[in-house]
Amino acid sequence: MKELILTSLAIGVKSVIFIIGMFLLAAYLTWIERKFAGHIQQRPGPLHVGWHGLLQPIADALKVLTKEDIVPEGVDRFLFYLASLLAFVPAIMILAVVPFGEPINIFGVEIKPYITDLNVGLILALAFGSISIYGVIFAGWASNSKYPMIGGLRKAAVLIGYEVALGFAMVGPIMQAGTLSLKGIVEAQQGLWFIIPNILGFVVVLFAILAETGRTPFDVQEAEAELVSGYNTEYSAMKFGLFPLAEWYIATFVLSAIAVILFFGGWNGPHIFGPLSPFIWFLLKLGMMFMFFLWVHWTLPRYRVDQITEIAWKVMLPLSILNILIVAIWIMIFG
Amino acid sequence: MLWIEWESIAFLEKKFPSLRYKKNKELPFIEISKEELIPFLKEIKENPELKFKMFIDFTIVDYPLHSPRFQGVYFLYSPILKKRICIKTWAEDDKLPSLTKLWKGAKWAEREAYDMFGVTFEGHDNLVRMFMWEGYPYYPLRKDFPKEGIKDTYLPSLNERPGEFPSHDYEEYHTALPTLEDLEKTEKSRIPKKQAQIVLNWGPLHPGTHGTIWFLFDLDGEVVKNCDIILGQLHRGIEKLSEDITYTQIIPYTDRMDYISAICSNVAYVNAVEKLLDVEPPEKAKWIRTMMCELQRINSHLLWLGTYALDLGALTIFLYTFREREKLMDIIEGIAGIRLNSSYMRIGGIRLDLPEGALDVIKHFIKDFPSKLNEYETILTKNRVWIKRNVGVGIIKEEDVYSYGLTGAVARASGVAYDIRMIQPTDKYDEVDFEIPLGTVGDAYDRYLVRMEEMKQSLKIVQQCVEKLEKMKDDKYIATENPYVLPTLQETFVSIEAMVKDFNLRIYGEQAPEGEIYLSGENPRGELGYYIVSKGDGKPYRLRIRSGAFYNLQIFPELIKGRTIADAVVILGSLDPVVGETDR
Repeated sequence: MKELILTSLAIGVKSVIFIIGMFLLAAYLTWIERKFAGHIQQRPGPLHVGWHGLLQPIADALKVLTKEDIVPEGVDRFLFYLASLLAFVPAIMILAVVPFGEPINIFGVEIKPYITDLNVGLILALAFGSISIYGVIFAGWASNSKYPMIGGLRKAAVLIGYEVALGFAMVGPIMQAGTLSLKGIVEAQQGLWFIIPNILGFVVVLFAILAETGRTPFDVQEAEAELVSGYNTEYSAMKFGLFPLAEWYIATFVLSAIAVILFFGGWNGPHIFGPLSPFIWFLLKLGMMFMFFLWVHWTLPRYRVDQITEIAWKVMLPLSILNILIVAIWIMIFG
Repeated sequence: MLWIEWESIAFLEKKFPSLRYKKNKELPFIEISKEELIPFLKEIKENPELKFKMFIDFTIVDYPLHSPRFQGVYFLYSPILKKRICIKTWAEDDKLPSLTKLWKGAKWAEREAYDMFGVTFEGHDNLVRMFMWEGYPYYPLRKDFPKEGIKDTYLPSLNERPGEFPSHDYEEYHTALPTLEDLEKTEKSRIPKKQAQIVLNWGPLHPGTHGTIWFLFDLDGEVVKNCDIILGQLHRGIEKLSEDITYTQIIPYTDRMDYISAICSNVAYVNAVEKLLDVEPPEKAKWIRTMMCELQRINSHLLWLGTYALDLGALTIFLYTFREREKLMDIIEGIAGIRLNSSYMRIGGIRLDLPEGALDVIKHFIKDFPSKLNEYETILTKNRVWIKRNVGVGIIKEEDVYSYGLTGAVARASGVAYDIRMIQPTDKYDEVDFEIPLGTVGDAYDRYLVRMEEMKQSLKIVQQCVEKLEKMKDDKYIATENPYVLPTLQETFVSIEAMVKDFNLRIYGEQAPEGEIYLSGENPRGELGYYIVSKGDGKPYRLRIRSGAFYNLQIFPELIKGRTIADAVVILGSLDPVVGETDR
């Protein structure tokens, strides 16, 4: 009994730390993105609030929280509110199964830098990822407006294709690791990272993450030139703020973390930074992955929605199945 | 001579007895009776020796004292003869036969004529208002419509109570405003019956429309089944306003039509007026005009490229192109004094001489720009996404170019070598060396490539102009010795004659001789033509502006049918309309 209470307390404290940490991180990811985009576009980005705009995310958060929250007439109020939560909560829930490093001992207390280590962690992450899509579709439907509806339906069309490809592309690393636990997958990559036989799977995952998070070549659901702002046109204030926060930052971040875990050996790396080196390696890989998505976002034009689904079904799905075949042969040869 | 001679069409006189060939100063034209108009047009369109198959413009001139009152004026172009023809017909009973069966491009022009003059067209399939709303009771371009409008709508002040002393001279009667019902009626009249699931409104204010155009898409899923465009949100009646001001005063209005390429509009207008007045600007002014036009063309194409890429989701290109555009803006500001609506041209020359160092800055720009252009091409031209979005979208066939009267880069991308700079060179375009890029397929990608190449060619022209201008440093830049040309400010300070002349010209205007002129310039958006009818006053009797963007936009509903909403931005961006010019 005492053990149960202690465990739940520990998990509770950890969850709070993770959620608050993620909020702050997401806020600063917006700063990173804006700086990054600024330098790509040969302008300085945020500069005036704090040193090099470091306090800009806080100013933005304050602004978005204090704005008038307009609920238009004729919306389905329940779904309208639910949608912004549905987009945001599942994205942050994926964090529950993402490990950030190995357990470490500080002053004799073992601290595990993850909330739980489930043996179905990856499936859970995928499931939560799928739920967050309902947020977008509900937002499109509940707004009772034409642009959001088209945006929401576009997103649904895109995601049906990429969810399938994403699922199949993750099969390769699972086959090699023999477990669905993300921690187990990292531990299986002590020698060689799974990117080596799984290169095709990795490419599919890259595309799928771009599509899931609605970043540029696939940002059809909010194509601002066509649909004003897409599914979130009718939203305002923090309800509006939650959508990009969930999609562009938290989802991108968490899915990048999963990609790093699956293909780049998670926190594995030479111990050159002392006891903290697993964290540093993980965050470095994660940061590079995240930057890659920013780089793509701020460079490319966007596809048309039918072209995206075409790529999903005609290119990505066969590629991910081919990847399974390659990995199977690899396992047969090298064991 | 760009206009057709009598010898070439004299053989048609037997067939059409009412045919008359007349000449009104600069503009030779053909007069024909209303009954014979359609057979005659059909004949010259299909006759293998004439082939006047390109529709340029149609307009109406109002002569209130003449009976019949309205005269229809048609401009056509023959690609094989490389000549234009002007045909006039009197609209008996205020009716004219519709040309829409022969040229699809006549559709909007006739609607505009109906909107502005109340002339009806027999055989037009949907003759509704063009710029004004349905239910508007007047015809604004008629001579009996006052310039300030008819104040017949009661609009009480919201902050004045009865019995109180009025706080300001508020007039309770205003010119008519469209009500919501009017707009609904307008919308219904454009797409008479819904074919599919929803009608999506795009605009009047929408990020994809590049201004205030109002698109109606009849959607089935995301596929557009029917589309129409409601113009007029930016209609300021420049043609009407011009009838009441002197020729020089019109110049700033031309700026505000195509505000992205103000100098090109200026030059086209000023050239037309100069030809009407027989004013010859000095050599230096002509070189400067050519140079400024081409700088403005690069400027305009850069804005097009940036916004086009922005519409397609490539956000970064927008800022890259604006970086170069800013340099051009600075150059234009340095020379003309104003960045956007510069009003730099004057009848008989230019407003100000080139400032010291201007040519050095331009030379630096010429050296710097090709590498930047390369940068854009690296990001876009071979980009798979870019190709996928552009290739095969919005294909315009050569026949459509003639039928719709498309001009500019849109026509050239479809392989029609129609460039006013070549077929009717004004200023110094006949002395500079440049090429016209032509497309082969006529899709959005071709239009992109053509505009990119045009920027390089424009740069080449600018370079030649700079070389010439360096040798004519102290030459005269405005022909002030001509009685029609306003003296410079400096001259009015030192000479009494100049001051009197300045006074006369400013008060009474340039007393242009009676006559007509149609002259066009190659705007970045197509042929910008000015048809001026002068009755010997200091102001034009009728000024018709043939806008390239207006005619180019007309093909949009045709191109978008059967495609998705996402293609609408591609097609619209590649047609590149500017609402200031379509609405005028």
